[in-house]
Amino acid sequence: MSAIADFVMATFTAPENIRTNPQSMLWLLPLVAAIAAAYKATKLPTITAGVFLKEVAILFGSIIAFVVITALVLYALAWLIAL
Amino acid sequence: MASLSKENHVLFLLIVGLLGWFLPGAGHLLLKEKKRALIIFATITLTFCVGLYVGSVGVIDPVGAKPWYVAQIMNSPLVAVLGHLTAGGGFPVYGRPNEIGQIYTGVAGLLNLLCIINAVYLAHLHRIELAGD
Repeated sequence: MSAIADFVMATFTAPENIRTNPQSMLWLLPLVAAIAAAYKATKLPTITAGVFLKEVAILFGSIIAFVVITALVLYALAWLIAL
Repeated sequence: MASLSKENHVLFLLIVGLLGWFLPGAGHLLLKEKKRALIIFATITLTFCVGLYVGSVGVIDPVGAKPWYVAQIMNSPLVAVLGHLTAGGGFPVYGRPNEIGQIYTGVAGLLNLLCIINAVYLAHLHRIELAGD
């Protein structure tokens, strides 16, 4: 039991090895899911599994779509400036 | 009598807010909003733990990253214990793990602040409904 506890504690005392590359942007996805779930938990008048999941999925998709559009616009601007 | 009732109401709102701060979702649980409480607890605790897992407890830095610490402490006052532990610089973390860890733990704290405000607002509405009956 102590060895398991030590192992769990050790995972929280040393950082993970995450490199600065485009793939590291995927860490955005779980965070957006958490934001969507917590926000909808406070906003829905009554919570049922079906309605909650649907609303969270819509908000998650909306945020990701907005992020993608913003990224494309910024990429296009950077491309135009570099011309 | 009305003054005492108002004082009780303020005290109740304060208790709801403090409970929500001590344990994410506890404020909603006090209002018998079990589903909301469970979702809030799971979401915020998981987000905070993912942040600690990615960046280690070193992302809680009350000395070098004070603005992030303000957001992180909204998760629970227990974060101050971690802050005390890491204040000496014993858990250094740099680069992308530091960024991701700080963002996850900070956003978890801000989400909990949103939930605390929502719990206090719901408690206030319940009281108004009871008074209207």
